[in-house]
Amino acid sequence: MRKYLVLASIVLGVSALAYATTYLGALGPIGSDTRQLAKLFLMHTYNPEFPELTAMSPEAVTSIVWDFRGVDTLYETVVFYMAIVAALAIYRGVGYSAIRGAGLSVIVRVVTRILIPMNIAIAVSIAAHGYLAPGGGFQAGAALAVISVLLAVVFSASSFGKLGISLARAVILWTAGLLAIAAVVFAPVAFSAVTGVRAFLMQNYVKLDSPFAFAIHIYGQQVSGTPTWFNLAEFLAVSFGFFVIFMLLSLREDVVREQLGESRGH
Amino acid sequence: MDPTLVPLAFFSVAGLVFAYLAVVEKDLVKAVIFSAIQSSTYTAVLYLLRAPDTVLVYLPVAVGLYPAALLFLIGKTERGDGE
Amino acid sequence: MGTSLLETFLLVLTLYSLLATAGVSIYGIVARPSITKKIISLTILGDSLNVLAIFVGFRVFSVPPVLLEHDTNSAGLIEFSRTAVDPLPQALVLTAIVIGLAVNFFLIFLALQIYRLYGTLDSRKIRELRG
Repeated sequence: MRKYLVLASIVLGVSALAYATTYLGALGPIGSDTRQLAKLFLMHTYNPEFPELTAMSPEAVTSIVWDFRGVDTLYETVVFYMAIVAALAIYRGVGYSAIRGAGLSVIVRVVTRILIPMNIAIAVSIAAHGYLAPGGGFQAGAALAVISVLLAVVFSASSFGKLGISLARAVILWTAGLLAIAAVVFAPVAFSAVTGVRAFLMQNYVKLDSPFAFAIHIYGQQVSGTPTWFNLAEFLAVSFGFFVIFMLLSLREDVVREQLGESRGH
Repeated sequence: MDPTLVPLAFFSVAGLVFAYLAVVEKDLVKAVIFSAIQSSTYTAVLYLLRAPDTVLVYLPVAVGLYPAALLFLIGKTERGDGE
Repeated sequence: MGTSLLETFLLVLTLYSLLATAGVSIYGIVARPSITKKIISLTILGDSLNVLAIFVGFRVFSVPPVLLEHDTNSAGLIEFSRTAVDPLPQALVLTAIVIGLAVNFFLIFLALQIYRLYGTLDSRKIRELRG
């Protein structure tokens, strides 16, 4: 087989090149230390001794995602929004009418019915503990989006309607998540307008010239300011964004063609 | 020696093998399955690179959502990569 | 603290196999006729480059960038910053995966629309049909 010969030569070539590079020391020291910027982030991710520099979240990745580089994440959320809007634009004019379908066998359906509440519980816990342990809004949203695949494949597309999730409702919940993100972004400014204390957009904890800070402890339970609320809002936005996508993908092709009025091609 | 480096190299080479098989496969359904196996090896690579956050987002995305969406696409269009 | 020759070999092998995966997937994007196959190759390209970005922040004998002791003092934090991997590439890749997913889904919808309009997903036939 020619295919396997090419594959073997690629793997052997990569190994030989790696051996030669190591023998010659061509890449210099590799994998022995991180750069200074990484140490700066790691030192200040949870450091009550420097309150004006820290993000007060023990999870370094979450504190970078929603505090140190928060504006990056905000605009990446906008890119995500635009991609789903574009998908909706292709399907404009198609009503999400309930479509009869068979789905899979009874055993698969019962097992799936047990799995779905567990999946929801896991996703919520990933979102709610994102500031403390590995996890967060994006991870939880991707975990919950698996439910929409299960619904579409195991129960057929009509199950969305039976569960009371219409396309319009999914879009509303998705937009609610995005508005919640915007609310957290503008909350410090609103606080500033009411009380006259200086505060900045997306501010999480105290700064040198601003005493504003989100609550770090609620009833003795440690939360870490904006990352917690951003994670929950992003969870809502990402998971229902994917619900929208999989609802559109699971529509039957003949129904879509009929409603789009496109009968060319076939 | 760091004991995680041997599985790290092994899984990344395995990812290369399955990526190649996915790219040259004529049957698109088999290509999606090879691509999912390649994603599983990359999940192991990410775990060994000490990135638990990225594992949590990569696992459902690359092993669950991509294959599902691509299988939807193949089911609605054509299955062969015409040569 | 340097790395031994065997450790360096394994790290370089990982690096080169990630680069080779990116090369193979670029071949898939350019040379395969089916648009579905091009999308599959594009997902593989994105995956390999994301893992490459995280590999850049890796170091041997390290721990994940999650602080486990919350009432830590400065000495504990310095120890943490000496042993943890770089969290910045992980944070950027985290969002990049979700954005890539949304963009790839948009490409899947575009492919569906191409099939509705032209009746095929073979890029050579589509080129013949429309100029």
